[in-house]
Amino acid sequence: MKWVEVDTQQAYERIRKKIITLELAPGSLINEQRLSEELELGTTPVREALKLLIHDDLVFITERHGLYVADINIPDLEQLSEMRISLESFCARLAALRADSDDLHVFEALQLEQARTPSENSHLLLDLDHKFHKALVRAARNKYLTRSLNHFFDLSQRLWYVAIPHIDFLSASVAEHLDLVEALKKKDADRTEQIMRNHVKGFYDRVRVVLEEKG
Amino acid sequence: MDINTDSVYDLVLGINTGGTYTDGMLMEYHSRKVLSAHKSITTKRDLSIGIEAVIEGIHIEDPSMIQMVSISTTLATNAIAEKKSKRVALFLIGYDPDLIASYNMKRSFATRHYYYFSGGHDLYGREKQSLDLQAILSKIGDIKHDVDAIAVSSYFSPLNPEHEIRTFKAISGICDLPVVLGHHLSTKLGSVERATTAALNASLLAVLKDFVIAVRRAMQRRSIDAPLMVVRGDGTLMSDEFATQTPVETIHSGPAASAIGGRFLSRIDDALVIDIGGTTTDFAFIEDGQVTVSEKGATVDGYKTAVKAADLLSIALGGDSRIAIDTEGILTIGPERVVPISCLASQNNRVPDLLKRLSRCSRSKATPDWLEYWFLLREPNSIDQLKTDREKTLVDLISKNPMPLPEILKTLKVLTVKQLGAEELLRREIIGKASLTPTDLLHTEGRYTSWDRESADLALKIFSRYQFKTPDEICKRVWNRITETIIHAVITFLSEKSLDLSGMPENDNMARWFFYNSLYDMNAHLETSFRLRQPIIGIGAPAGFFLQDIADKLHTDLILPDNYEVANAVGAVAGSVMVTEEILVYPHISADGFEVLGYYMQTNDGRENFDDAGDALKRAKSLSHELALGAALRSGADNPEVIVEVQDDGLDTYRVQAKAMGNPRLGGRQ
Repeated sequence: MKWVEVDTQQAYERIRKKIITLELAPGSLINEQRLSEELELGTTPVREALKLLIHDDLVFITERHGLYVADINIPDLEQLSEMRISLESFCARLAALRADSDDLHVFEALQLEQARTPSENSHLLLDLDHKFHKALVRAARNKYLTRSLNHFFDLSQRLWYVAIPHIDFLSASVAEHLDLVEALKKKDADRTEQIMRNHVKGFYDRVRVVLEEKG
Repeated sequence: MDINTDSVYDLVLGINTGGTYTDGMLMEYHSRKVLSAHKSITTKRDLSIGIEAVIEGIHIEDPSMIQMVSISTTLATNAIAEKKSKRVALFLIGYDPDLIASYNMKRSFATRHYYYFSGGHDLYGREKQSLDLQAILSKIGDIKHDVDAIAVSSYFSPLNPEHEIRTFKAISGICDLPVVLGHHLSTKLGSVERATTAALNASLLAVLKDFVIAVRRAMQRRSIDAPLMVVRGDGTLMSDEFATQTPVETIHSGPAASAIGGRFLSRIDDALVIDIGGTTTDFAFIEDGQVTVSEKGATVDGYKTAVKAADLLSIALGGDSRIAIDTEGILTIGPERVVPISCLASQNNRVPDLLKRLSRCSRSKATPDWLEYWFLLREPNSIDQLKTDREKTLVDLISKNPMPLPEILKTLKVLTVKQLGAEELLRREIIGKASLTPTDLLHTEGRYTSWDRESADLALKIFSRYQFKTPDEICKRVWNRITETIIHAVITFLSEKSLDLSGMPENDNMARWFFYNSLYDMNAHLETSFRLRQPIIGIGAPAGFFLQDIADKLHTDLILPDNYEVANAVGAVAGSVMVTEEILVYPHISADGFEVLGYYMQTNDGRENFDDAGDALKRAKSLSHELALGAALRSGADNPEVIVEVQDDGLDTYRVQAKAMGNPRLGGRQ
């Protein structure tokens, strides 16, 4: 851990959060100087952090105009949803076949946690959804799949915030996890895959509607 | 361009946080030449403040030349003693609650939040009971908002960590708290010590991380871009990254660094090292060039741990110990540390005036308690938020000028110090105390005169007159008492025997007679004496004044190496980078317990099966060698040397230990 890295790490996490929670609007221009003042961090760590975010596909750079927050647009969404729908449903199938009793205990604990979480607490629900997906990935036991899906999770997180104002949808979406756990316990690979496909597809359909409404 | 590559010029910065001062020194690594040094007051409320002051205050010509910064810190010890560490839930798997209760060990876990679960293994690594993950996860759901970290220790986990690993995976699937596993910290079989160590480590994670970040920031402000190392309790070094994962290993790192520094500067391989600071005197032993390490784990704030640390003794006696008369009229030195009155007098004009006035009063009026001054150390800031009106009144009263304690009591109309309710203000270092100390006596004798000698003279005069003694007589009594206390500690440390010197002497006690006769040669016929076979290496500023008499009475030599005043900071850079990896080899026993089916080789992460003990040991040796070497390189060791040893633990169980050790790699050079 070098000093630059300590501050870069901090800058990275804070800017990333700003982007994911839409505090930095999709498609907006990034002002390095202002960011560095706002975060009270040096320009070097901010610049390093932005480089990492370019690698994460959350920031992009154009030759002429400098740095932008990656836009959320329909063509991009389609590409992302194609990947996630197929990979996540495949992952769910593997998880159903490979989950051991320890994994099932984790799914049950998450299920219990979900029952306790008030449906209006969107941040906790988001966090729970994330943990469900991670647990599935772990149960699938394929390191390459893990690596690819982690990258897509990070990109999708931002879409949650687009969808958050439509809270009714959120709790309904998370409710599908309950069916998923039941199917996993029965080791029903077809059903698990189907639930996951619908779960992810439903999510993207909803986000698409929100984006189209916005124009 | 310099083409002579032999003349490498590597600057290293060593820092040590002591009880009173934080010392920093800049050294050329290869020639061991100390180029500059700086002291700042240790800020117990937040050690990084004192460290930042040292980094900012030390004279450095070219910060880009610095190749390494290394710190020994009492941070972990302080955080535990002052309960500033974080809240931890300890999960005990396969521990017997009745057994713990019957040995009255409940308090030894270093956290109030501990929970029992079924699981654990036996001494052949066989599963004793199945792991109750459901109960563990359900408990996590209940408590995760009330704690900052989780520690897990399962029964016989060094032989088979399976339950700890499964628990870790499951917990991290449902919550984001950091999880510490017992078998990562100790391969020894003491289940209570392992659990305590895991709990303490978990409680210190955030504390050490904040500290490392603060130090890194201070380095950045001075444009120092170099690896940062932290000293362990046995004096070896680890990278800051390792330190943030195993903060518990920094317990006792300060005294260990002193011993290493003393050896490094004196180049003597066998000696008793005595480090006299402002608050404490620490003893450690150097044998064959290494600081001796305690076989038992380190104890901190009464908690027994499995942490390897230097074998040392610390007593509350230093240059700034308060000299006072107790209620029975006996002269005491310490344990409290105060600011020397000559120091306060040199900073504030009112103190010398008041002392002059006091010296003109009659003996019965000028009592020694008038020599205790209270003063404002720093303005309280917004975070401090004075809680009571009494605190505010007290701060206002002394905000302009220091005030003698009896006057404070009178003004605030209270009878005792306790009624002032100032504990918090003192603890948070908003208010300080000054009084008569050994450092003041050095001023009156003209041996050390940094501050106001005249005020020291007056204070001693007032103190002695009250005792119907001359100043010389009081000085002699104080120096004798210091000599007796330190020699008593040396003998206690080296013999592990005890002798109570307090209270009235019993005339027929031979041990006590022997002790004093050996110091003062009182008997006309019997001559007794102590003789220390090894020399004493003195460290810390007061060592030059206190230790000669002690060395004479122990019939040995006193060695004060160059720069002995900052040897503890030298010790922070003088240690080797070390990593130890242990692998256990033990028999695979059939369920009925009669047959050996093969041998297991158990590492941190998994185990392998072998038919033959020899093959298992062979594999364990090469694997531990490889693991230790890799970890040492990652930890910043330069060209580390690896030594593999096999220890027979009985019951056909072998502990294969690989120790990789090397000098720190300067400037991150590969």
